[in-house]
Amino acid sequence: MSSESQTFTEKYDLLGCIQCGRCTGGCPVTVRADLNVRQFVNNAYDEDKLEELSRLAEIWDCTACHTCAVRCPKGLKPLEVLIGLRTIIVESGKVEPTVRDALQSVLLEGNPWEKSRAMRTDWMEGLDVKIAEPGEPVENLFFVCCTIAYDPRVQAVARNIVRLLNKAGVDFAFLPEEESCCGSEVFTIGEEGLFEMLVEDNTEYLNEFKAERIVTLSPHCFTTYKTHYPDLKNPVIHYTQLLDELLEEGKLVWKGELQKKIVFHDPCYLGKQGGIYDEPRRLLKNIPGVELLEFDRSRERSLCCEGGGGKMWVESTSTKERLADVRIRDAKELDADIVAAACPFCVLTLEDAMKNLGYEEEMRVAEIMELLGEFVEA
Amino acid sequence: MGNVLLLAEHRQGALRDITFEMMAIAPKVAEDMGGEVTALLIGSGMDDMAKKLSEYGVKVQVIDDPVFENFNAEKYQKVLSALIDEKKPAVLMTGQTAQGVDFMPALAVEKKLPLVAEAVGLEYVDGTLKATRQMYSGKVSASVAFKPAETYLVTIREGAVEAPEPAAAGSVEKIDSPFKEDITYRKFVEYIEAEVGDVDITQSEILIAVGRGLKEDKNMPLIEELAQGIKADVAGSRAATDAGWIPHDRQVGTSGKTVKPKLYLAMGISGAFQHVAGMKGAKTVVAINKDPEAPIFAVADYAIVDDMFKVVPALQEKLKELKG
Amino acid sequence: MKTIVCIKYVPDTSEAEVKVNPDGKTVDNSRFSYDINDADNYAVEESVLIKEDKGGEVDVVSIGPKKSDVMIRMALAKGCDRAKRIEDERIADHDPLMVAKVLAGAIKSEEFDLIMTGCMANDDGHMSTGVALAEEVGVNHASMVKKVEVLDGKVKAHRELEGGLMEVVELELPAVLTIQTGINEPRYAPIRGIRQAQKKELSVAGLDDLSIDPAEVGAEASQVVLENLYIPEVESAAEFIEGEPEEKAEKLASILVKGGLV
Repeated sequence: MSSESQTFTEKYDLLGCIQCGRCTGGCPVTVRADLNVRQFVNNAYDEDKLEELSRLAEIWDCTACHTCAVRCPKGLKPLEVLIGLRTIIVESGKVEPTVRDALQSVLLEGNPWEKSRAMRTDWMEGLDVKIAEPGEPVENLFFVCCTIAYDPRVQAVARNIVRLLNKAGVDFAFLPEEESCCGSEVFTIGEEGLFEMLVEDNTEYLNEFKAERIVTLSPHCFTTYKTHYPDLKNPVIHYTQLLDELLEEGKLVWKGELQKKIVFHDPCYLGKQGGIYDEPRRLLKNIPGVELLEFDRSRERSLCCEGGGGKMWVESTSTKERLADVRIRDAKELDADIVAAACPFCVLTLEDAMKNLGYEEEMRVAEIMELLGEFVEA
Repeated sequence: MGNVLLLAEHRQGALRDITFEMMAIAPKVAEDMGGEVTALLIGSGMDDMAKKLSEYGVKVQVIDDPVFENFNAEKYQKVLSALIDEKKPAVLMTGQTAQGVDFMPALAVEKKLPLVAEAVGLEYVDGTLKATRQMYSGKVSASVAFKPAETYLVTIREGAVEAPEPAAAGSVEKIDSPFKEDITYRKFVEYIEAEVGDVDITQSEILIAVGRGLKEDKNMPLIEELAQGIKADVAGSRAATDAGWIPHDRQVGTSGKTVKPKLYLAMGISGAFQHVAGMKGAKTVVAINKDPEAPIFAVADYAIVDDMFKVVPALQEKLKELKG
Repeated sequence: MKTIVCIKYVPDTSEAEVKVNPDGKTVDNSRFSYDINDADNYAVEESVLIKEDKGGEVDVVSIGPKKSDVMIRMALAKGCDRAKRIEDERIADHDPLMVAKVLAGAIKSEEFDLIMTGCMANDDGHMSTGVALAEEVGVNHASMVKKVEVLDGKVKAHRELEGGLMEVVELELPAVLTIQTGINEPRYAPIRGIRQAQKKELSVAGLDDLSIDPAEVGAEASQVVLENLYIPEVESAAEFIEGEPEEKAEKLASILVKGGLV
């Protein structure tokens, strides 16, 4: 964690930058918005200019996909300079009302969707779910994610996991309604104080549970726990890793056939940031009948869908084509029937783009768990 | 005697609808309380209004004085305070409007009288006056009883009941103003009409929101025409603003505006959770969508599963016929 | 300028199912989220904007439970200076006239230029407390205010009437303004600001501490009785309008017109 006395330059190691421009060169947002991250890193040396820089609208165009960080030869995270500038705005209180409401909801209710905490486990209704208890040993402790818990469009991810693991005889439990937001979007929006509070509170809360590992459903929670929670006792994995294990152990019993061409979209937080590329592909490939395609821009080079970086609450001022639309057109060119993702934000943005382009009749956007729910015995 | 004193509301030379709506409530209450209705007009130059009001078979009393040319809460409070002392009405009733809310609570405090605000119903049962009102944005109804008092103050919600047709001839009588001097501590300055072309959808009463189902820009006139007919503002989902059909400042949803109109017509909007979050405060939701499974129907009060392009032109016609 | 802003902690019931408790007089609030009342939030912002413009201080007064402290801390983080929370079970809070009397009792020893509060509460929606409070403390008022201009010894208030019409009035100070939503854009209270605001004074008082006679603000004093609450009979699910497109349009048009919706 940063200390208060650090200067902006020290905090983001700006002097480590050699201005090579690989960050801006790889930034997917440049085709859509007027964002030059290298320039920001350069201009942010001047502490007197920070205030002015923070008022530039394009700092909110960053999707926190981390392409710049992956490409930086010096191991810096240029995007965090933009987040640091956002922090200046957030701490002045003058944020967009949508951002304000999301952040406030995280503080008051533990989720950014302005939903009551008491409704966090409503998705479990009618399912046989074991609720974790502090101190009670469990092999796989599930962290559901705010979006999957509350958005009916993606609740199937959690519901299908429960059915499938019950059938496979896996020892697992879900957290009760006290589960709070991991802070992935709080961090990228730049609400440092709130994020620090979440890290502290969540670490203390999660460490009360005796789990062999924590399984996250969203790659955003996955990467955030792995990157920003140094004191978390239990290892954290993504659900595709757990299912991949079950696949290997022969515990997934397939039913029916899916005679479709599927292309997998690597979520930035799962791939570039989480280093997980093969598990989701193996799961999809093993669905009987499936032909797995690859995007030209896949794995480390995967094109961001623009769902992260707090973008669910900030609309870009750009009117140029959304990256998600580009992605769907690419899928169309590949003649894919299904675009699969393993991230709630990707599913929402890609599905929006698919409908936007009018491909509802011939194409489907699906979370991997939706497909597995249909083709694994449960 | 259980008389009802009904303060009529008017603005810029015309009686407001709430005045007539109260005619659906006041006579019955007065009858049950063994009294009659007196409608009170305070203002300046109101002969036409007085006559129109008297057609509801009530006694109209008029305080006509240039001092009352514009509404002023303090002056109204002074007049009504004096009239309560003089006439001792059993009930003083007016609308829960920008006018009513501006003086009734103060009057209640001054006279130490009970007030029930925003009643949607009022009846006199077994010697007790009872009001029905709503709480939690209409999700709960509350039955409230007045304890015995000299005069009961009550304000009626606008649009809670339908105004009756004029019934019988009543009478018009001018009465003296209980006070003559003007006041200086609160002065009317001016009226400012809403700016045209500068729409703030968060304040709209009626909104037509279009979504992806609009398909293309050239379909916009169809929506605009409908909007014009019912004095609605036009908003859109993210898809609609993205497409450039609707300006960005009229986008409804988590990344746009949160709206709370009385009527929200969702046209070709599927109702993604992020959109619904921005319009959940709407009072009545009408959804038209081809997809019977569209989530918008879960939050709609009235639903039509059909092609909006087939329904909207017919809807516009029918509305024109009905509204004349 | 010295402003007192009165705020209320209310449940958000816009999406939640509301159930009446067996007592018939309260609702089951176990599944609601709570926050500052909408219009009060705008009143807080307006008071801070005036302070930033004219200098001075802002005091927060609220009647509510301990758990509403988080809302009060947010107001302090936004720029209010000190707060008083009144907590007493004896207050007949179903009657805004009693609430106004308690608020008046809590601020009776304070000098002030302005009192601001929201024009309506999301939960019970009387739109009465602010105007009643003005009468209790014996000052001028204007309700449903959507623009405030502070002048020398006066305030110009734009009152929002129906249909987008604004009525501009001028009041001598001190005065009470009830604030309409949309008057400004309430700011965000960042956590660091909330933490810093922990240093600001937040006192808690009961009726006895305020020398308010419980007999004057309790259920006995209130002249209205909340007899019972009930869920109105409305179909929660949508009414699907059937028929050919034209029939559907006709039925809908008639619903809209007859229901007074258009």
